[in-house]
Amino acid sequence: MGEVELSCLAYAKMYLHASQFPRCSVNGLLLSSSPAGAAVCITDCVPLLHSHLSLAPITQLALTQVDAWCSQTQQRIVGYYQANACVSDSSPTPCALKIAEKIFEQCNNAVLLMIDGEKMFPGCRVPPIVMYERKDARWTLKDKHTIMLRQWEETCSIVNQLFSSGDQTLLVDFDSHLDDITKDWTNQKLNAKIMELISPANGNV
Amino acid sequence: ITSTNVSLSCISEMRDKLRKWREENYRNSEQIVDVGEELLNEHASKLGDDIWIIYEQVMIAALDCSRDDLAWSCLQELKRQFPDSHRVKRLAGMRLEALERYEDANKLYDSILQDDPTNTAARKRKISILRAQGKSSEAIRELNEYLEQFVGDQEAWHELSELYINEHDYAKAAFCLEELMMTNPHNHLYCEQYAEVKYTQGGLENLELARKYFAQALKLNNRNMRALFGLYMSASHIAASPKVSAKVKKDNMKYGAWAASQISRAYQMAGRGKKENKCSVKAVEEMLESMQITMS
Repeated sequence: MGEVELSCLAYAKMYLHASQFPRCSVNGLLLSSSPAGAAVCITDCVPLLHSHLSLAPITQLALTQVDAWCSQTQQRIVGYYQANACVSDSSPTPCALKIAEKIFEQCNNAVLLMIDGEKMFPGCRVPPIVMYERKDARWTLKDKHTIMLRQWEETCSIVNQLFSSGDQTLLVDFDSHLDDITKDWTNQKLNAKIMELISPANGNV
Repeated sequence: ITSTNVSLSCISEMRDKLRKWREENYRNSEQIVDVGEELLNEHASKLGDDIWIIYEQVMIAALDCSRDDLAWSCLQELKRQFPDSHRVKRLAGMRLEALERYEDANKLYDSILQDDPTNTAARKRKISILRAQGKSSEAIRELNEYLEQFVGDQEAWHELSELYINEHDYAKAAFCLEELMMTNPHNHLYCEQYAEVKYTQGGLENLELARKYFAQALKLNNRNMRALFGLYMSASHIAASPKVSAKVKKDNMKYGAWAASQISRAYQMAGRGKKENKCSVKAVEEMLESMQITMS
């Protein structure tokens, strides 16, 4: 029962992704720049799709490209996130399980993260996420006490700041990149803005 | 900007924007509310008869943005002007849907249908409610029944294809897309979606079909990147299959190579002068390289 740490950067971009497409199911990959170990440190994420999540070609394409980018940047794919269009249903879909399974083949403490849309409202004190891990050949709910979101209050405030400054529109997912390939799905610009907001005194998140 | 300072050309510009968004069926609800609210609050007198369709457009956008205050006031204006209208009744139903009062909304739609059984808008709203409630199989069943009567309804065929894709029923999704391609032979998006479904179904035959339809989508729109990547991937997979003849392998390697060069070119052009897409350009290059290796 390993620990999972979710960085502010990863959380913020997932949240922004789900907010950008409120009527669609969205998904993305969770990355780590830390070495493999007992604990999983999710340090970043790549937002992937907001349409046709269950169709193969673009998913395969995205996985291959993110893989390539990860090896160039010393990161690993350690998990998968999804937010369902139907807000009241935050259970993993067959497609979520399929992709998570694929990631598990390469990373034995892979994490499946579902965003709980019903908890995405201003002032909600609980992180709108539900995590699953692979145990006994099944994806089972992870004990909340093993999930760490450092500086949760600060993370919330950073997300709010991104919305008030209008910077949430900077987020590019892989789907949007395919609509206009001059858009950067690695989100360098947005990452920089978020890192600026994360105060240095709190260390590396 | 107060109403006295806004020029007529500015108002006309806002009206044109709203009209364009209406005609193209864009769902940019926040922008519509932004522009529409100003027009309705400050310049209503200058909108002529357009005002009613603008009230409708803004009302729907307001629902999308949880602006029930604005939706309500638009609805009141429309109710006052068109007291017995089914069209307005449907808008009232949509507001109930936005408030998740689905039973009340259904009652409203049922009363419209009692009066007018051919009212397609009310039927579609009922199906949307099923979708919102997560009742996919019922939504699919109702939509199929609807299409038996209204076989030419493109929007409905597309909605059905989306529902089937979500349910992983790719064969039926393909059927819907075939209908759409037949009636819209120049629409590159339908070709490309059909190709994606075939690719997902898998197997050599489906991959070949996928490749053909990706190619067709590219013929119709040579800037469709999904189709370009799809062509590359399907051709590469066919070429890599041990079951194909030498000729098929050779042909598909040719198609794959062509697609790869087009992709490279597109990314080189996109990457010019933009430091930030160096990452995506590099990722694509690596991907093309690694797939070359598996293909040979």
